[in-house]
This record gives sequence, structure tokens and C-alpha cells, in this order.
Amino acid sequence: MDNQPKPDGIVLTEAQKKRRRERSIAIALALGVLVVLFFAVTMVKGPAVLTRPM
Amino acid sequence: MREVGLILSVLDHNAIELSPRISEAEVADYIALLKPRVMSLVVFTAMVGFFLAPGHVHPVLAITSILCIAVGGGASGALNMWYEGDIDALMSRTANRPIPRGRVTRPEALAFGMTLAFFSVMTLGILVNWLAGALLAFTIFFYVVVYTMWLKRWTAQNIVIGGAAGALPPVVAWAAATGSLSVEPILLFLIIFFWTPPHFWALALFRNDDYTRAGVPMLPVVAGPDATRLQILLYTVVLVAIAVAPWPLGYFDAVYGIASLILGAGMLGLAINVYRRRHGSAALRATRKLFAFSILYLFGLFAILLLEVVARAIAPLIW
Repeated sequence: MDNQPKPDGIVLTEAQKKRRRERSIAIALALGVLVVLFFAVTMVKGPAVLTRPM
Repeated sequence: MREVGLILSVLDHNAIELSPRISEAEVADYIALLKPRVMSLVVFTAMVGFFLAPGHVHPVLAITSILCIAVGGGASGALNMWYEGDIDALMSRTANRPIPRGRVTRPEALAFGMTLAFFSVMTLGILVNWLAGALLAFTIFFYVVVYTMWLKRWTAQNIVIGGAAGALPPVVAWAAATGSLSVEPILLFLIIFFWTPPHFWALALFRNDDYTRAGVPMLPVVAGPDATRLQILLYTVVLVAIAVAPWPLGYFDAVYGIASLILGAGMLGLAINVYRRRHGSAALRATRKLFAFSILYLFGLFAILLLEVVARAIAPLIW
């Protein structure tokens, strides 16, 4: 007899879980690139990073 | 009893509407929303605009600028697909895009495009300069609002005026490199601007059924193929003249000038061919050839400018 409770709500299929994981990794990578970009430009510009000409 | 049935029916309908949708989208679907092929042309023309600009820019700032312009271009593509989900489904060329296939919903594409547009403009403005940031914002606005939402379904001149959006990336890149504008980026803008009509009208000639089915008033749909052939020829004459002009005016050198003349002769020859061959498979072949060569023409012109810049940069190291 199966004693495990049935899950409430929507249950994702394995394929849906895989796609969600891949999308999450892509978002994490994009945010990582943004952080690295801001860090690198800050290092390159030094104090001049605060000077933003029109 | 009838009222109860009606209420239950409404409740049932709401239950369907409110049930959460599980996204089936892969990362590749979101990449497709960026229109990678268009993006590659945006990146390439922007690189030419950037490296043609005078002065030295740190490589990190150069990469940041090109990346922001690329992402901004991708955002425009995603927002274009968000708005055109309905007509994309009707055309064989676009029916495989993520929204018509049901992989990405229109609200998802809208959120994706707006997020990328916001971050690309703000990053370019904050890290590089606000002239470049403002020009990138204007480019996205022009492509999405002026071209996609207004002109495309309204006038046969849609791609003539809308072509300005595709012509702006080298201008944005020049502004990113220098913080100002000059004649050279305007020349690059004009070359792409006058290249757009012959390129897209050639496409519209052999995709006429698609555009007619979708109700998009492209020139062949509205004015007919013969009028389009004449317009292609006239715009090609203007394009070739404008593309050669920077040489005698002294902005670009003789290597560019001669290459521009050779490529221009090819473009003009193919446009004349399209004008003369109006029926059957010969006409179809002529328009396909012009469409394919027009990509090579623009790529060739910009590649020569880029190669000249690279050659000038490495020449002192060799000699």
C-alpha cells in the first residue's frame, strides 16, 4: 500500500523541471555577467566612474 | 436554476483563466526572441562605427558598449515579436518563431524585451555615456513604437522610414566611443538607411503571398511588383552614389572607394536585372539574387572599413 501523500497543486514533469533549471541558470549567468561588467568598468575608470559626461 | 448554471459556468471559465500556465520555453526560445541574425548585423555595424571613431577607448569599455548595443538590438527584436505575434503566425517565414509556436507567451516576450531594453540602456548610460544611452533608447523606441506598432501596418513606406532604426547602431557606437557625433557616423547611417528599401523590397517581392495573407501593406502588396521593381532600382542608384561619396569627400580612403565602386556595380547590375525580368522563374531568381547580394554588399562595405582600421592599428607594430 502506498502511504506517500499525494502532492497538492501542479506537479512539473521532468522535462518542465529541466527547462526551468536551464532558464534559471541562464538568468544567473546573465546577472553574473552584469556584476562582472560593473566591477571591471569600475576598476578601469577608477574614481572617474562617478563622472558621466552627457 | 438557469442563473445558478450561468454562475457556475462563469466560475468554471474563471478557474480555467486563473489556472497557472507552466512555461514550456527553452533557453533557445528566448535566444530566438532576440533575432540572432539581425543582432549579428547590428553588432557588426556597431563595431565598425566604434572602431572608426578617433581616439583610444579601453577594451573593457569597448566590450561593454558593443554588448549593450547587441542586447538593445535583441530587446527590440523581442518587443517586435511580442507585438507581431498575430501576423507572425500567418507568414511562413515567421510561423516558427517562439510565440506562434506557443513556446513563449506574448506577456513573457514583453517582460523579456522590456527588461533587456531597460538594462541595456541604463548600463550603457551609466558605464559609458548618456549620449550613447539616449541614442540606444531612441533606437529601441523607433523600432518598436514608430516602425512595428505604427508604420508597419499603416503605410507602404514602412521600411523606408523604419529603416532608420536599423541604421542607428553605428551612430550609437560612435557616440559610445567619443561622447559626441560627427559626419562619419552619419555617412554610415545613410548607407544602411538607403540599403534597407532595396533589401527588404527584394524580400517582399518573393514573399508577396506571405505579406498579402498577413495584411501587411508592403510596397509589392499595395503598389504591385512592377512599381516595386522601379523603386528598388531608384533606391539602389541613390544607395550606390551615397556609398561611394565618402571617398571623393575625403572621409574614407581610396581602398574603400574602389571597393564601394565594385560592390556598387554588382548591386546596380542585379537591381537592373530585377527591373528587367518581371515574369516566371527568371524574375524570382533575379529578386533572390539581389536579396542575397545586398547582404554581401553591406557586409563588404563595412568589413573593408573595419579591416582598414585594423590595418592602420597594427601597421606601426609591423614596420
